[in-house]
Amino acid sequence: MDTHNVQRLEALLETVQRPSRYTGGEVNAIVKEWKEGRTTFCFAFPDTYEVAMSHLGMKVIYAAVNREDDLLCERAMMPWVDLLEGLKKEKLPLFSLESRRALSDFDCVGFTLQYEMSYTNILTMLDLGGIALESKNRAEDAPIVIAGGPCAFNPEPLHSVIDAFLLGDGETATGELLRAIGKGRKEGKTRLEILRDLAKIEGVYVPALYEIIYKEDGTLASVTPSLPEARKPIKKRLELDLDAAFFPGETPLPFTEAVHDRIVLEVMRGCTRGCRFCQAGMLYRPVRERSVEKLVELAQSLFQSTGYEEMSLSSLSTGDYTQLLPLISSLNQNFEGKMVSLSLPSLRIDNQLQDALVDTAKVKKSGLTLAPEAGTQRLRDVINKGVTEEDLMRSVSEAFEAGWSQVKLYFMIGLPTETDEDLLGIADLARKVVGAYFALPKEKRAKGLKVVVSASTFVPKPFTPFQWAAQDTLEEIKRKQSLLRSALNIRGVTFNWHDPETSFLEACFARGDRKLAMVLLRAYELGCKLDGWNEHFKYDAWMQAFSDTGVDPAFYANRVREKSELLPWEIADIGVTKAYLWLENERALRGDITPDCRAGCEGCGLRRFDGVCPV
Amino acid sequence: MKMVASFQKLGPHRFIGHLDLQRAMQRALRRADIPVVYSQGFNPHLLLSFAAPLSVGIEGEHEVMELPLQNNITETEFVEKMNAVLPQGMKVVAAKLVTDDTAPAMARLAAAVYHISAENGFQALEAALPGFMNQSTIPYLKKTKSGERMDDFRPLVYNLTLKDGVLQAVLAITQQGTAKPDQLMGLLCAHAGMAVPRLSIKRARLLDERFAPLV
Ligand code: SF4
Repeated sequence: MDTHNVQRLEALLETVQRPSRYTGGEVNAIVKEWKEGRTTFCFAFPDTYEVAMSHLGMKVIYAAVNREDDLLCERAMMPWVDLLEGLKKEKLPLFSLESRRALSDFDCVGFTLQYEMSYTNILTMLDLGGIALESKNRAEDAPIVIAGGPCAFNPEPLHSVIDAFLLGDGETATGELLRAIGKGRKEGKTRLEILRDLAKIEGVYVPALYEIIYKEDGTLASVTPSLPEARKPIKKRLELDLDAAFFPGETPLPFTEAVHDRIVLEVMRGCTRGCRFCQAGMLYRPVRERSVEKLVELAQSLFQSTGYEEMSLSSLSTGDYTQLLPLISSLNQNFEGKMVSLSLPSLRIDNQLQDALVDTAKVKKSGLTLAPEAGTQRLRDVINKGVTEEDLMRSVSEAFEAGWSQVKLYFMIGLPTETDEDLLGIADLARKVVGAYFALPKEKRAKGLKVVVSASTFVPKPFTPFQWAAQDTLEEIKRKQSLLRSALNIRGVTFNWHDPETSFLEACFARGDRKLAMVLLRAYELGCKLDGWNEHFKYDAWMQAFSDTGVDPAFYANRVREKSELLPWEIADIGVTKAYLWLENERALRGDITPDCRAGCEGCGLRRFDGVCPV
Repeated sequence: MKMVASFQKLGPHRFIGHLDLQRAMQRALRRADIPVVYSQGFNPHLLLSFAAPLSVGIEGEHEVMELPLQNNITETEFVEKMNAVLPQGMKVVAAKLVTDDTAPAMARLAAAVYHISAENGFQALEAALPGFMNQSTIPYLKKTKSGERMDDFRPLVYNLTLKDGVLQAVLAITQQGTAKPDQLMGLLCAHAGMAVPRLSIKRARLLDERFAPLV
């Protein structure tokens, strides 16, 4: 940005809410010089700064790229509406926080795909950043637009927007992509030549290199590589040794409070419990742990570089981390007197652990949160949520005895095979929780009983045993919600539910094919953005986008797929096979449970990858 | 002992709100390993106070903070340790150890010096300055917690001088009354019969009742 534009931007910043989220300059922010031979990368997070700066993956990639001398990484986020309108009005581009350059100045712009409802933000950011929305319209010297993150495992709805997708762990792979782009640019290669080079990298999907044919009924007929570089399938990238994988000891410290504003230690990656609705559980197999020594070392350097007051242990199921007790006691020892509280998820905390925690007042006492997900044992067996009513009631009673009075219970509605009886089971469970509180003598229980029951709408996801299932229709979800609302009219119980419209769209995009890209572009034209923020979500505009493009949303959300159907996301090989997922699907319908595979391999298919899953 | 220190809040840091600044300084003190004191009780917090919050958008050259210390550390050591962990534009400028019974900076505060510059200079205002200062009262609408009422602005303005195109204003900050620079500019421009230009404002100093710097 030239000085004149900088002045206009400064004037604009004075008029917006919380301007410090747009100025960069945080402690530990890395500002590198734009010099000859350095490939420039803008990590673009398609949500607001507060959300972006809570995201661990962004901090990891930011630091991993910046420690390489020949690479440079800056950050850009989705501006809030006030700045967004201001930039448009002033004809200023969306800029990076570090050097305040337009997105179009970079060699590469990379988006992280954390949830489907952020896709219109990607279009908004490209547009504001001066980059054509669709790959085919991009100039030769425009940045290469890449994307990664969990939603990249079904890349098709963004196939015309993103030039190349990275599937799987990004610590090492991001650098490989950037170097290939830098090299290609230096050698004066064309866009297509660079994309062909990217396709040679393991884990990379370049949608332009495949030919897609549909059947008359709208399902896929075939996916064929049109050039030799195009891999099929695309094996996900894996960092097998987390101690060796890069993890930063310094992360930018936001001035304005992020949603999660604390030290986050990733203790392990992956989960083998095998809940059948959970996509992350399948995508991130196998389970890989970080060592206690490594974690304590990281915790120390993160504390020294940020001064944070709180630390949390992150993973899909931290209670399963085998070294949890030694880790906690080592952290407590090392942070003696430093006033750092440790926050732990309250799930699956057994007695031994509870005792260890009681000794350390430093562990933050938040309310008890449990996720039974379904109201009856039958349905919990269907989804393979290995938790019994007995387990739940024991945790709840212990919590009440220990002086807690707030319990949060998370459920999903619309799960496969769900009946009204299962829904009423949720109310039953809530009533029993209230009963456990009143079962304690009055003088022993803490005041202010609050049981919060939250019910989200089930969204069938790719690479889960439910990837063939239909989502309930909107009418059915609404009926179920009102049934629950009246059943949960219990003293001490609050019921939270979500607008099912968002979940419906999420379901379309989660399992969408290439046709969804047209819908997305049309929705953007119709003004859709910030769809994840209730006040900005325009359901009617979305429905219009579907009808304008002649795409039927129910085809994606509410249709049961055949076993034989070629699924749009089969281009990715996550390790777990389709055959295993189908087997799990059949077991689900029978209500058979599958144990955690750490007790013995269940044959999910991951062993086809070298060095994975020790026997 | 207590440490009273002045620090900058320059450039983009002018956009940091007061609560965010508080948190940023507390974290800096923790990074610098200063022997800070925490409050007692269930939710201990780091004891740190500021002489006067600064409105978002205004820069500060010598903002003042104060904190009790667990054990002694020299002033130089404090400045060095803090500046090793603070970002550019937010550095500690001076620090002074005072006894625990010294009145808090917030209580000693009486006035502030502001440096105000306008997009196209202040030529048009220059002639109006003496007339503005010679008024015996300057009625203005004072916003209070209970609503609005008319009050006199004149006693809150101690001095106005124009130097090198920058307006230097010494304004009251007391329990009884506080004059804000944007209020001043509103009244001054009205007096001169002109619209308020786009301003950039810097708070240069915080003063005690003898008009000496707090630190
Ligand atoms: S291959 Fe076997 S051990 Fe490895 S994740 Fe799959 S089921 Fe578990």
